[in-house]
Amino acid sequence: MTTASQSPDSINKFAVTPHVKSSKASYWLIAPGVIWMTLFLIVPLGMMVYVSFWTQTTFKIEPVLTTKSWEAFFSSDTYLSALWTTIRIWLLVLLSTFVVGYPTALFVGLFIKNKTLSTALLVLCVIPFWTSFLIRVLAWRPMLGKEGAINIILQAFHITREPIEALLFTELSVIIGMTQIYCVFMVGPIAFMLGRIDPNVIEAARDLGASFSRIFRTIILPLSMPGVVVGAIFVSVMVLGEFATAAALSGRKVNMLGNIIVTQVGSLKWAFAAVVGVILTILMGLVVAGFLRIVDLKREL
Amino acid sequence: MQTTVIKPVLSVYTGLFLLFLYGPFVVLGILSFQTGPNGGPQFPIIEWSTYWYQHVFGLTPPSRIAPLPIYEGLARSLTLAFMTMIVSTVLGVMSAQAFRTKFKGSDAVFYLIVLGMMVPGVLVGLGLALVANIVGIDRTWWGTAFVLHVVYTFPFAFLVMLAIFNRFDSSVEEAAWSLGVSPIKTFRKVTFPLIFPGVLSAMLFAFTLSYDEFSRTLFASGRDLTLPLAIYGTFSIEIHPNIFAFGVLTTLFSFSLLAVYAVLMTASLRRAKRVAIQEDA
Repeated sequence: MTTASQSPDSINKFAVTPHVKSSKASYWLIAPGVIWMTLFLIVPLGMMVYVSFWTQTTFKIEPVLTTKSWEAFFSSDTYLSALWTTIRIWLLVLLSTFVVGYPTALFVGLFIKNKTLSTALLVLCVIPFWTSFLIRVLAWRPMLGKEGAINIILQAFHITREPIEALLFTELSVIIGMTQIYCVFMVGPIAFMLGRIDPNVIEAARDLGASFSRIFRTIILPLSMPGVVVGAIFVSVMVLGEFATAAALSGRKVNMLGNIIVTQVGSLKWAFAAVVGVILTILMGLVVAGFLRIVDLKREL
Repeated sequence: MQTTVIKPVLSVYTGLFLLFLYGPFVVLGILSFQTGPNGGPQFPIIEWSTYWYQHVFGLTPPSRIAPLPIYEGLARSLTLAFMTMIVSTVLGVMSAQAFRTKFKGSDAVFYLIVLGMMVPGVLVGLGLALVANIVGIDRTWWGTAFVLHVVYTFPFAFLVMLAIFNRFDSSVEEAAWSLGVSPIKTFRKVTFPLIFPGVLSAMLFAFTLSYDEFSRTLFASGRDLTLPLAIYGTFSIEIHPNIFAFGVLTTLFSFSLLAVYAVLMTASLRRAKRVAIQEDA
């Protein structure tokens, strides 16, 4: 196993010695990366779990094990409602990124036969990521505000008479903003999977007289499912860990678990922040595991 | 056929989708030319001016609107992004090189590395802040925030290099080895020039991701703010069009980075082609 070489070329006969060496060298090459990730990723996450059972005094934490912080979380309406807000926003954003993104992915991945054009369209979708994340969030303020672009356009076309105030600093604005920021992560994987569908299969179905909706339901949608699952995992992990968009577009009215962590750290309630962090981690783990059960990615990709 | 209807509908939809993606930036761009200092961050445009751009650069007479506190943050962010770029690219190349031969536990190591880009910033940020607090280290942008930036960008560099090595023809290296060239010299003279375009991409990823990183930095950096943190600080108070002007400027900066990358990339590809032609001749 360790001496296996990657290509069955006849040249490998001469290269046996370097390969034996390089498999040992592999460990030396990989060691710095593994040490870095263990120290600065695994240890901090482990510490978060450990500290969630520590005793919190006013400004300090002491390594005396207790479940007090956990009890405080589950007996507080504020924190339980933050958990519920997080789940609600996650589900709504997941749904809206899927609904908004799927038709675009369908167009780019399946209907555009020209490879250059479809690549160009995907690049066009990615370009906004080239600007700062915070600027992307902020850009929604002049769009959604009472005197914002959307209200002006709606009034100019006499669709509404009064400006809609509910557009900004509400949960709706958070969902709109997050949909725009994260929908590309849905479009990309779906378009990728759609692009791999053999056009002959669709052609054959059509020749046999299947309608488009039937083709979509029985061929296109099932074959694009791995893309949907990958996109859903990306969006879920990012939305569940959000706090900046929620704070900036809701005027700090919408509090997700991430926002709770930020405030608790700000007031040095470390043990409590750790509890919220562990709950968030568990939630994410459940969501990702759930998606992975729907589609066996290793087999499908 | 039904598709004759569906395709135009979908193309119109895609147009609307792009409008949804770009609309906010267009509005932001337009409003950055609002007159100052009395023009607010909303329509209508009272008068077109470049007042807020001058305001960002501190060229306007003092007014009730404080200048954006960005200059120190900018210097820190650029330094941090540069440090992160170097370290994560080196780690990425080394790790991807290790993955070219199968070794025990390679699957686990793969997941460990990729975990770094998947775990949300709020969780690692909190975790590292806890560790720093318990061990008694001060949180700084060049220390605790820097190591987290590498945790985040190293997986990207690693995946880019993995993709490059996948398409890499290792027979050239083997030829060098069989001629008795030492592995280190082979890497320097043969492997590295061939993977250089990939290295450039890894560097670009690491630099831009770190330059814009927000949530990890919020938890892991101390009192000295990086650029995204300074910008975030201005959100809570009333916003003025100067932040829109700054948004336009920082976007232009990002695009110029992309242009530099494109120039370096074409140059290195052209050089590779020239070398190939010389060898053929």
